[in-house]
Amino acid sequence: MDKVQMLQVLAASLFALGLTGVIIRRNVLVMLMCMELMLNGVNLSLVTFAHTMGSAVGAVLVFLIFVVATAEIAIAIPVVLLLVRRKRSLDIETYTDLKG
Amino acid sequence: MGALTLIVVLPLLGFLANGLLGNRLGKGFVTAVGCGLPAIAFAVTVKTVLALHGANWAPISETAYVWTMVGQDSFEVAFWFDRLTAVMALIVTGVGTLIHVYSTGYMHEDKSYARYFAYLNLFLFFMLSLVLGRSLLVLFVGWEGVGLASYLLIGFWFGDVEKAAAGKKAFIANRIGDAGFLLGMFVLYSALGTLDMPRINAAFNGPLVPAASASLVGILLFIGATGKSAQIPLYVWLPDAMAGPTPVSALIHAATMVTAGVYLVARMSGIYLHAPEASSVIAAVGALTALMAATIAIAQDDIKKVLAYSTVSQLGFMFVALGVGAYGVAVFHVYTHAFFKACLFLGAGSVIHAMSGEQDIQKMGGLARKIPVTFATFAVATAAIAGIPPLAGFFSKDEILWYALTSERGGSVLLFAVMAFTALLTAFYMFRLLWLTFFGKPRMGQEIAHHIHESPPSMTVVLAILAVASAVGGFFSIPHFLEPMLPMPVSAESMHHWHYWVLGGSIAIAVAGLAGAAWFFAGDASRAGAVKAAFAGAYRVLSNKYYVDELYAAVIARPLLWISDRVFLRLGDRLLLDGTLNGLAALAQRAAGRLARVQTGSLHKYAFMVLAGMVASLVWMWRHG
Amino acid sequence: MIRDLLANLDTLLLWGFAGCAFVSAALMLVLRQPMRVAMALVSCMVFLGGVYGLLGVHFIAAFQVLIYVGAVMVFMVYAIMLLDPRDESAGTSKYSKLYWPGLVGLTALAEALAVGYWNDLPHALRGAAGEPFDILRFSEAFLSEYWLHFELTSVLLVAAVVAAMAVIRENRRHERG
Repeated sequence: MDKVQMLQVLAASLFALGLTGVIIRRNVLVMLMCMELMLNGVNLSLVTFAHTMGSAVGAVLVFLIFVVATAEIAIAIPVVLLLVRRKRSLDIETYTDLKG
Repeated sequence: MGALTLIVVLPLLGFLANGLLGNRLGKGFVTAVGCGLPAIAFAVTVKTVLALHGANWAPISETAYVWTMVGQDSFEVAFWFDRLTAVMALIVTGVGTLIHVYSTGYMHEDKSYARYFAYLNLFLFFMLSLVLGRSLLVLFVGWEGVGLASYLLIGFWFGDVEKAAAGKKAFIANRIGDAGFLLGMFVLYSALGTLDMPRINAAFNGPLVPAASASLVGILLFIGATGKSAQIPLYVWLPDAMAGPTPVSALIHAATMVTAGVYLVARMSGIYLHAPEASSVIAAVGALTALMAATIAIAQDDIKKVLAYSTVSQLGFMFVALGVGAYGVAVFHVYTHAFFKACLFLGAGSVIHAMSGEQDIQKMGGLARKIPVTFATFAVATAAIAGIPPLAGFFSKDEILWYALTSERGGSVLLFAVMAFTALLTAFYMFRLLWLTFFGKPRMGQEIAHHIHESPPSMTVVLAILAVASAVGGFFSIPHFLEPMLPMPVSAESMHHWHYWVLGGSIAIAVAGLAGAAWFFAGDASRAGAVKAAFAGAYRVLSNKYYVDELYAAVIARPLLWISDRVFLRLGDRLLLDGTLNGLAALAQRAAGRLARVQTGSLHKYAFMVLAGMVASLVWMWRHG
Repeated sequence: MIRDLLANLDTLLLWGFAGCAFVSAALMLVLRQPMRVAMALVSCMVFLGGVYGLLGVHFIAAFQVLIYVGAVMVFMVYAIMLLDPRDESAGTSKYSKLYWPGLVGLTALAEALAVGYWNDLPHALRGAAGEPFDILRFSEAFLSEYWLHFELTSVLLVAAVVAAMAVIRENRRHERG
């Protein structure tokens, strides 16, 4: 297993762990952090490919993902703040108001 | 614009003027336009006939408008004027104008006066394009148009549901016949590539025999004629058509429109000369219709119904003449019939007018002295239809009987016997009508009797003119006039010595009918009552018109209704169409209900679905990548 | 031996950083306290930064540490410190009802990815140039070809800031009302 393959497997593992974290953890903040982990996995994959292929596109995309991640967290934290004020709980299972 | 186009277009102008402006401009305007334009059309027709005479009877042809070109064939709105057209056009415009004038008196109180004259002018327009059309296509437009006008006028008082229904019945019966007419036109066009009538006749008479079977075309066109000219099996609409105003019955349902079928067959005689089977069918249907309608007429009590069945019966006579190849004689009978039947209907209208709307002859009687002009004209016309010499009906009927016996194109003793018997019945029921209406004791109520009065001059003058025409019209020998274009059938040599016997026989028949009716219905008509009581069953069958309407209802109308209701409405519309739509809607609703359960509001489940979707798409890519 | 080790130090460090990043990520799923989870995430990010550095893309490594750790995670830690005391759901299970389905899904996903990598990755990488690139090329590409995307992300950022302000204001009004 060479370097690139190993890094790709790591990227995939980070993504999979992050997604699993979103599924199995109940704490809203932990879920948010798991989403960050997923993004990191994707970033790693992109950087590895960009490095291997000698193309700048992957790096540019990573850069843009940084910005988007920042924007995401800037919105997500105030939303969580609001939610917690309403129900005094960080447990996502108390938030099922959108049941169809 | 040529003279022929002018003849046709004048009534159309009248229709437009009366239909669009009549209500605003008042009765004077409507009368002037409604009667004036047909009168001008009549004058132009007379002038054209004189011109035709001056040109040694060479047919005039006139193209008004080229409608369309299909490949080499052009379809034109073209008119044609020859001897046959001359006779028909004179009848239509002449009798038509008289009836318009009569209508000014008869319809004077009606609130839809302008609409009435608009329709009547519209009818004349279509009837003239039917008669003058050179192509079968133009003829067909007129054919449909007179059907429309007839429908509008039968249902003229559409507020009465029964009358509106009578209009519909006439229209539907005519449509059935029209289907046959259309098919005949299709066959002709596919075989000859033209609908031009002179060319069609020439093609059938020429050395190159057309591919189309003459009998097939003949029968199909005759089906159209049975609808318009009220023959078995489509005659049922004509008696009901009496729901319209009486002048309409006189013009459309006696003198002109119903003879369109006779005109069609005479016009297409080139085909029928080569279609002996079709001719036999025509003769048989005509004879049966004549006999059946005459028997029904004996037992009717409505004055207009008697005349209606008499019309059906007389049309049967004409078709017998056509069936035995005596086309000129048929047109002769059309011509005489137009006079005396118009006179009879208008006389009946005058009687109804006098009787304040009463139509039942059992409630009349003794009117001869109270409305003498009406009585005199009615009597002349009755004598004419019964065949009393030397009135018009005698000549045409005698010729029909003669050719029914002797023509080598289908004449036979049986046909003669049936027609002679029918002629006897005709004389009998017509004199019965005369007796019950004008002689004997008055049977109406006091109130009505008090109001009986002679009709205004606009009506009586027309009656007088028509009575005179009925009396002397027979001296102008139409068959002889038409012979150059509609040759007479050859009479069997062996029959010639019967000529005077037939002549005497038909006189005897007419007189016998007169005498029989006089004997039965003289005084208080007690002899007739006794006979009626003795043959109550037969009488009931006759007065119920052989239950033909009931038969049609049971055999055709009710199954159709059943199919429409069960198959088309309940199965097709409600079950299949509505069911499919409702089913789809319900399916969507139920599916949405199921799918809505997926929306649990739990983020964990959503994320899990994302995971499942990813695994699934990866596996799919891995399998198919 | 030591010389060999030094010669392969790059590779060794790469494997070491990668292993540490994986372990940190795995820890995130099992630690209970949000603060500890945050610390595990921070360490994971730092290790990834190391990986980037070893790959020669130093500027990405620098941004990883600066933006993710320095900005995003600091913000997150503040939020945790702010919200934790208010949370009254302590004492409930840290895992959701989908614990076992989640783990099964993880396995399935890992397997599907692994199969994909083993089958397709060699093809994808074959013929790759393998030429490392530097900040110069990156900057040129970024500012000439992708400037529009860059601008769009800045617009997104501004929108996010405005949205955050709107949410906070809504929050205050709710508190007053």
